[in-house]
Amino acid sequence: MIKELNQAAYEAMDKSVPMALEFFSKNCGPCKMLSYVLKDADKQTPDFPIYQIDFNENTELKERLGVKGFPTLLFFRDGVEVERMEGLKQKPAIIKAIERLQA
Amino acid sequence: MTIELKNVTHIIDTQAAAEETMLREIKTGVYTLENPYVKLNPYLVAPLTALIYFQTPEETETTVTVKGKEAAGDMSFSYPKAKEHYIQVLGLYENMANTVEISAGAGGREILTIQTEKAPANVLKPSKIETSADYLGNLCIFLSPTSPAATAAYDYKGDVRWFSTLNHAFDLKRIKNGRLLIGTHRLLMPPYHVTGIFEMGLIGKIYNEFRVPGGYHHDEFEMEDGNILILTQAPARGTVEDMCVLVERQTGRIIDQWDYQTVLPQFPVGGSGTQDQHDWFHNNAVWYDKKTHSLTFSGRHQDIIINIGYDDKKLNWIIGDPEGWPEEMQKYFFQPVGDLSRFDWQYEQHACVVLPDGSIMCFDNGHWRSKVKSKYLPAKDNFSRGVRYRINTEKMEIEQVWQFGKERGADFYSPYICNVEYYGEGHYMVHSGGIGYVNGEPYDLPAVAAPKDAELRMNSVTVEIKDDKILYEMQIPANYYRAEKLSLYCPEDVLTFGKGQLLGTLGVTEEFDTVPDLPSGGPVPDKYGVKLAQEKDRLVMKAVFEPGQMVMLLLEGEETHAYFIPTTKRPFLAMCVGTFLENDERAVEMPISFEGLSGKFKLSLIIDEYKYDTGCEIQI
Repeated sequence: MIKELNQAAYEAMDKSVPMALEFFSKNCGPCKMLSYVLKDADKQTPDFPIYQIDFNENTELKERLGVKGFPTLLFFRDGVEVERMEGLKQKPAIIKAIERLQA
Repeated sequence: MTIELKNVTHIIDTQAAAEETMLREIKTGVYTLENPYVKLNPYLVAPLTALIYFQTPEETETTVTVKGKEAAGDMSFSYPKAKEHYIQVLGLYENMANTVEISAGAGGREILTIQTEKAPANVLKPSKIETSADYLGNLCIFLSPTSPAATAAYDYKGDVRWFSTLNHAFDLKRIKNGRLLIGTHRLLMPPYHVTGIFEMGLIGKIYNEFRVPGGYHHDEFEMEDGNILILTQAPARGTVEDMCVLVERQTGRIIDQWDYQTVLPQFPVGGSGTQDQHDWFHNNAVWYDKKTHSLTFSGRHQDIIINIGYDDKKLNWIIGDPEGWPEEMQKYFFQPVGDLSRFDWQYEQHACVVLPDGSIMCFDNGHWRSKVKSKYLPAKDNFSRGVRYRINTEKMEIEQVWQFGKERGADFYSPYICNVEYYGEGHYMVHSGGIGYVNGEPYDLPAVAAPKDAELRMNSVTVEIKDDKILYEMQIPANYYRAEKLSLYCPEDVLTFGKGQLLGTLGVTEEFDTVPDLPSGGPVPDKYGVKLAQEKDRLVMKAVFEPGQMVMLLLEGEETHAYFIPTTKRPFLAMCVGTFLENDERAVEMPISFEGLSGKFKLSLIIDEYKYDTGCEIQI
């Protein structure tokens, strides 16, 4: 499941379940490509929640999470970041990260 | 838009065809000393060379002399006895009716005139040359550029006596067979990683291209057995300039490698002012030392020179300012001794050299000249120099025993590139080739990265010092990576015929396994200026895209191969070579290696929301 969020929605959500959070920018080729990769990954792991947040519009959150560029993919377990991927990644790497998170 | 798939012949094939034609002409004619065969620029890339052929009835020795503009400028070379004489003529002047004298045996003498063309504008002239013919003799100073200029060789008068028309990058070295090792002109990864290195005779013939999958950058080193150390990287892991490979001379196969990620902590540890995660080490030099059977590497972005065991690949020592390095690494650093009032650490250095007594020389660029940001020195207050350190690896002590350049201040300051050469005790070259002024002020960053609208002035200063006396100084208004003093003629550089070899491999270009299913947009719009070129071993696409566009090149055949093309340039803080940069910052260049590909493919482009047809097909 892929869903776009803003900071308010992020703050309000239940973070107890494993999830991924992608910081993207609308004017970024790798981010556009990553969105297709995430859709592809989502077909394989449809129950795993992936949230997308606009890097430029959610500055307080990105600073709090120490996100310096885009795309950046953060993986959380029990609300704690356990893995981070910076830059464009391929589907197998993302699927493996999801599997590690769910293990 | 109709896109043409241009066929680009590899220079080795072009040279082979030219050589075949030349040899056919030679075989079908009758050429004597009085009526020799003369071919200017026989291998098409070195316009100040020629080949002369003639036969003599008896075996005779021959001597060729390119007459100088004055007697001191004569360049001569003698060939052993033969009946068939293939004479390499090196050291012609540009734009001149050169007088070339051939003497063969007792009394045989012929004067030829060889007219050369004017050198192109990128063969720059020195703005200053101070030396004597007695000092430099028949030697030339070779310079390899990092700003728009040609690789060229200059004599004692500053006259250019050799240049290459290829856009070579980085180091230039003479090897045991008299030929040069020099970077290829084939860009592999922007901004300056190229496919590998050429082994080239001075007449311009390329005998081998050694290709390396990760590409070549900065430096190489010929081992005693002829194998070659080449600086490279493993692009798939997202970092650059942090690996060295040993290439087998006969095959180009990689037979060993040294990975600095296994011996050093990475970003942000030990970071120089220019370090980033991508280019955390920035290896710009390699040296093998037989006495200690070890490798010494310069890492600009950690301000360190490291020594690694050749066989065990373990870290032995580090030369550099230890400030900020973690406690567990401190044991590798040296403690300065001797006259500490004149001791300086090196920062963002280049060109480490291990001397016969085990001491270490390098070009200390001094860029930022501190490990602490608040203490960074601006260019106007900074200096660069050649420096020699004596090291004691038992006591882990270091002593600065010589330097040249600090006294010249900012006018000798190069924040990037440069080298030193050791000729013997007290006899050195210090080449400060990366000097830049922006709007009249010494520039803090590499001049080739200066803003396009800035008033930029570049300089390169090459100095030779013997017993603390300057015996040579050349200044030239561009930036040059390295300077090397070499003779043009070399007994070992024997011209041999036959096609050069393309050795090694470019590796497999990383594919992207997610391919968006998008509607057709028809032919590729003109505005992207797409150009496709098929080389012997790769496809190269050039185009102009706006930063942030999503672009993918598809090779569609029985299988589809997809390649993501970055349109947002990664900021390269260490822009070591600017000669491959396009004027349009939106320009994109993407090579696809043919390694692992076979068959007929239709070429398509995904650009943002649509898939476009290039109208081109390729057979691999």
